Amino acid sequence: MKKRLLNLFNVFGMFAMAIALFAFVAPQDQKAGAAWNVPANYKSMKSTKATPETEKVGKLLYAKHCKSCHGGIGEGDGPKAASMKTKMTSFKDAKFQAQSDGVIYYQSFVGRDEMPNFEKKILDDEDRWAIVHYMRTLK
Amino acid sequence: MKNKMLFIILLSLISIITFAQEDTTAVAETKDKPVRSPFESGYLIDAQTTVIPNPNTLEMVIQHKFGTIENGRSDLWGIYAPANIRMGLNYVPVRNFQIGAGITKTKMATDVNAKWTILEQTRENTIPVAVALYGVMAIDGRNISAFETGQVREAYSGPVGSFKFPDRLSYFSQLIVGRKFTDWLSLQAGVSFTHYNAVGVLYDHDKVGVHFNGRIKVSPQGSVIFNYDAPLKIKEISEQLEWTNHPEPSFTFGYEISTSTHAFQIYAGNAGSFLPQENMMWNQRSISKDNFAIGFTITRLWGF
Repeated sequence: MKKRLLNLFNVFGMFAMAIALFAFVAPQDQKAGAAWNVPANYKSMKSTKATPETEKVGKLLYAKHCKSCHGGIGEGDGPKAASMKTKMTSFKDAKFQAQSDGVIYYQSFVGRDEMPNFEKKILDDEDRWAIVHYMRTLK
Repeated sequence: MKNKMLFIILLSLISIITFAQEDTTAVAETKDKPVRSPFESGYLIDAQTTVIPNPNTLEMVIQHKFGTIENGRSDLWGIYAPANIRMGLNYVPVRNFQIGAGITKTKMATDVNAKWTILEQTRENTIPVAVALYGVMAIDGRNISAFETGQVREAYSGPVGSFKFPDRLSYFSQLIVGRKFTDWLSLQAGVSFTHYNAVGVLYDHDKVGVHFNGRIKVSPQGSVIFNYDAPLKIKEISEQLEWTNHPEPSFTFGYEISTSTHAFQIYAGNAGSFLPQENMMWNQRSISKDNFAIGFTITRLWGF
């Protein structure tokens, strides 16, 4: 009887240890995404003019569509971020901010892999640029 | 009198449609765009907003109302009391027009519905309000014996053997007018007509009602929401001499959290059903603390 209890305890202990180890391993599995292959017509896109109004609209739309993954201030730490296979780039990152508006537009609304397409969710081009303008304020 | 009322309703609808067509032309000329998100979802508690998702969007809705809170902690304020559930799907085939269907646990009612946003409020105020038409047809799915043996006297009081399929049908049609006043305040008012093909002898076939609801946005994703529905006492369309079974008005308030593809609304109110015609015709729970029940609505959108 004692031996059975001991075996059960050992099995339970091993499971607990495995879960604890996986908890440390999982986030490290996230890999940085490969370089984006952005079509030339997007690279050369010209954004609309940023105004305090567009930034206000962008902030509201960002909270609705982007915050759950990219986090409140764009650091890639939203509630859904931990379950992603790809490590998200912070919008504060200098390399990210060095990209042209058109490239950010393509990455944000056309997307790829885990970054979903938002073209059917945000129909108005003005609204899309408002989000890009807001992302620029996060640096 | 009934014919006159139907004529007035038809005339109003025709004039609205004509007005809509004229204004659509005006919008095209001035390129005044619709206001952004007057509401976060097509649902506001158990009512409808003038909002319709983008074309080719499928929406799934799960609605749940627990029991009333009157028994306190003995059934955890109604959460473990018998509940009502509705699950439904809506689809947007073309811009500003939506069709849907759902099944409600109470009466096992199957409903089909359609919503058409005739006018959208615009940013430059070319069109100051949004206007929508909403219609629901529901089929009472209870066993035929329930009707013919008098178990549901409010729904049918005809002789045994004469109950027919059309006696299961009920209709609700509503005109909704809404306005987003500021980024944080949107309000709607509506008028509705409810008709049941069959009711008990002590009940009316028709009810006219008024509706008032809105949202107060308190954060980018959170809003305080409310809904008030009132069936009117109109003697001219009543078949009764006294108002013995007149339905009670309902008031619901709650909180909404929305994301890109979800809306989650948690609320408390005194209306027991999700079908508007049910609440307009049969709600006997008055607006008092004990009659309130906790409920929630969850919507999920998929774009195609």
